[in-house]
Amino acid sequence: MKYLWICLLVMTSAYAKDGFLSSVKRMNWNIGKEELEVVWIEDNKFPKFTASIFFQDGAISDPISGITQTVFDQLSAGTSRENQREISEFFDFYGANLRHSVTHEYSIFTVQALTKDIKPVMGKVCELFKDAQFPQNELNSHISRSKSQLKNLVTSHSSLADRVFRRITFKDTPYASPVEGTLEGLNQITQIKLKTRLEYLNKTKKVLYLAGPSDIYEIEDVLSKNCSWSNANKAERYEIKKPLPESAIYLVEVPSANQAQIRVGRYLTSNEFVGKFDHFSFMSSFLGGGFTSKLVQELRVKRGLTYSAGAYVSMQRDYGRVGIVTFSKNETAAETISLIRDVLSDVASGKFEEKEFIHQKNHVVGGFAFGFEETSAFLGQIMLYDHQKRDLSQLVNFPQVISNMTMSELGRVDMEAFPWEKLSIVVVGDKSLVKSLSRIRPVRLVKYEDYL
Amino acid sequence: MKFLFSLLVLFVFINGCSTTKKNKNLAESIQLDVEELKLDNGMTALLVNNSKLPIFSLYFFYKVGGKNEVPGITGASHFLEHMMFKGAKKYGKNTIDFIIEGSGGSTNAYTTNDSTVYYENLPSSELVQILDIEADRMENLALDPEDFNKERAVVLEERKMRYENSPKGQLYQLLMENLFTGTPYGRSVIGDIPDLKSVTREQIHAYFKRFYAPNNVVLVIVGDINTKKAKDIIREKFGKIKSSPSVIEAHAELKEEAFQVSLKEQKVIKRKGESPSPIFMLAYPTYKAGHQKGFALDVLSSILGSGKSSTLINEYILVSRPVATSMYAAHQQLEKNGFFFIGGELVRGIKLDDFRLDLQKKLKSYCETEITERNIQKIKNNYLVDLYSGLDTNAGLAQFIGDRQWLYGDWRFYKQELLMYEKVKVSDVKELCHETFSKNGVFVSVWDKHK
Repeated sequence: MKYLWICLLVMTSAYAKDGFLSSVKRMNWNIGKEELEVVWIEDNKFPKFTASIFFQDGAISDPISGITQTVFDQLSAGTSRENQREISEFFDFYGANLRHSVTHEYSIFTVQALTKDIKPVMGKVCELFKDAQFPQNELNSHISRSKSQLKNLVTSHSSLADRVFRRITFKDTPYASPVEGTLEGLNQITQIKLKTRLEYLNKTKKVLYLAGPSDIYEIEDVLSKNCSWSNANKAERYEIKKPLPESAIYLVEVPSANQAQIRVGRYLTSNEFVGKFDHFSFMSSFLGGGFTSKLVQELRVKRGLTYSAGAYVSMQRDYGRVGIVTFSKNETAAETISLIRDVLSDVASGKFEEKEFIHQKNHVVGGFAFGFEETSAFLGQIMLYDHQKRDLSQLVNFPQVISNMTMSELGRVDMEAFPWEKLSIVVVGDKSLVKSLSRIRPVRLVKYEDYL
Repeated sequence: MKFLFSLLVLFVFINGCSTTKKNKNLAESIQLDVEELKLDNGMTALLVNNSKLPIFSLYFFYKVGGKNEVPGITGASHFLEHMMFKGAKKYGKNTIDFIIEGSGGSTNAYTTNDSTVYYENLPSSELVQILDIEADRMENLALDPEDFNKERAVVLEERKMRYENSPKGQLYQLLMENLFTGTPYGRSVIGDIPDLKSVTREQIHAYFKRFYAPNNVVLVIVGDINTKKAKDIIREKFGKIKSSPSVIEAHAELKEEAFQVSLKEQKVIKRKGESPSPIFMLAYPTYKAGHQKGFALDVLSSILGSGKSSTLINEYILVSRPVATSMYAAHQQLEKNGFFFIGGELVRGIKLDDFRLDLQKKLKSYCETEITERNIQKIKNNYLVDLYSGLDTNAGLAQFIGDRQWLYGDWRFYKQELLMYEKVKVSDVKELCHETFSKNGVFVSVWDKHK
């Protein structure tokens, strides 16, 4: 087993260093009066390209809840020359795929298309950023749909649990506002406010991440002629300074549920994870990253309490989150929460076996190469490292860091991340759960409508 | 050095396909270098070398799914899928996941109406071990009684998550029950609750012995493998496993006629569920997988419901007074039959019955207004881009060739598919559009206002 581990370590580290990192090229392009940072991974697999425009700001600076998301959602709703259908028709005809992702700290707009169509497709993208008009009728329609979807969120207990969990754990911080907006926020969004927000984003510092053959150099010319971007605006930052919220179980009542969705966790401040990124990642994998993780073994394999259980850690630049996600039937919801508490406590106090620890190390180190299989996934890793201000050499060193980690370090990270009395617990389920959950902690019954 | 970043040697050669001009012989432009192995016991293996990374993906396609079950043991295929991870003779209780994940790999499985598929993504050093595991569980699955009962509880929880607490899951199940009433496709793949509670270890064991055999499986491996050595290992591990004569009988017993549906009148089914806005699906029976007419129906579904410029999105969503918050159309082809469906979620306040009548009327009119040369070319362009994306990973390619092998008996069928897509004409799609929307369909909805 030890031999396997050493082989994996040597193989994956060498691969990352000699293979992928050498394929990452950084450069600066002149776009008008400004320079644009460009990161390119050469990929000649297929005649297609990926271009991700990384805006170094996101929902954290939303003057109205959900406005950055709405800007991107409605970017192709109309320009002064074309209506929504014409724009959609253009991109669909080329088979171009546009998507966007807004987080609190950054926003990414991604285009994928065939390389031979780089010029028309990227030219049109520039046109959208330069001339999006957010036509009133399209905006009304979008807001109406978004509100309807929010009101219907009760059809997905899992999504509802995620939303309420965010709003409760980040209460009184800008991170509490969901990226996709609240009903209150959506009601305040207007055409003029969207234009103002787009103008702000156009002046926000950007980095262009590219994957594809060398044809992608054609993009420089297209952007310099068609895009009016600058780097004038500094990204807004917010560090959480408030103490962790009081301990309670929030029971979100949904009618007729015969299963309870469970979320346990809290926010992290950057002070807690900077310098320990890899340790936190390993801890989440150990707890809930696969069939053989601690939580899946305890909850599903040994007791049949759930179909799935997972742990996650998300670390941005100024804040992060740790959490546990699972569900169970009503009768065993309280037992499931108690078991989660026991698992966290056992790991924190070092009550786990060395073979479990070694097993997870092998799992994490051996799986390292899979993060490079899809160029777009690798590109995503680079974006996150850049955002976290981490050198890519840390990516190469990841297997080594994990191999050097000790059992007591794992226990310490678990203890720091999951102090039981400071964790928020959200349960989405039937009202009848109050009795059983009260045996664990005081229960606050809340209405889901209050979190929309 | 072996692992230097290099061009992907998937042997996918692209002839500079153009999306604005007509694609030239698309079928010939994608050449897959697949090596085949057929064992005496009937097992088929397909192998593709790709040494870009020191990893590979492995798929086992067992030709057994919901349609092979009978009343009383609904959900058996899916239950068995769960039990396959619980251990066998050599690789005992709770060891399979540990071995796979302990090497850095990952594994999972899924069950459909027609198939049960197991897959693993692993470092290339693990080939011998994983084939040993797969051979062990194919031949000697343990079905430990204690594990069996624990897993029964897990399956029941999964059922709650996917169906009982999910209005969208309920909607799909409602559609299948009512579109394929009386046929094996009308049964629940995850199983009915009484069956899941009562099914015995012995019943599942008999089901396993019948369907889990080398002559009922396709193995596909794509990645950093030496294909010659891999063939030797496959021969060694699987060559001695006996084939199942009864599986051939089982497939022969499932006559095509048993899957045909003829709706004498339109069905409108309403079910009360926890959805504050109505969610719906409208479906029409079509053709089984591989049928020539299916390709034109695929194109039709994309014209109607794929992408922001598609017909239904522009008719019902991207309008000043939206009627729906989501709309989609798809053509689902199963091994023995198929169906064309449209679904979505309505905005609150929209009258469901009025919407249904409006939709059905408009569908017929679209046959004349929406099927244009440009729209068809657009769909073909999108198909090409999707094809590239699908072949981007070892797992994607393994699934691509494996699906064609187990379903059509030949992985090369993709060439015919590409040719068929290339040949689809406006008149073909129009004809199929009229044919489909003239049939009686099934309209199902779930809403908390239903009684």
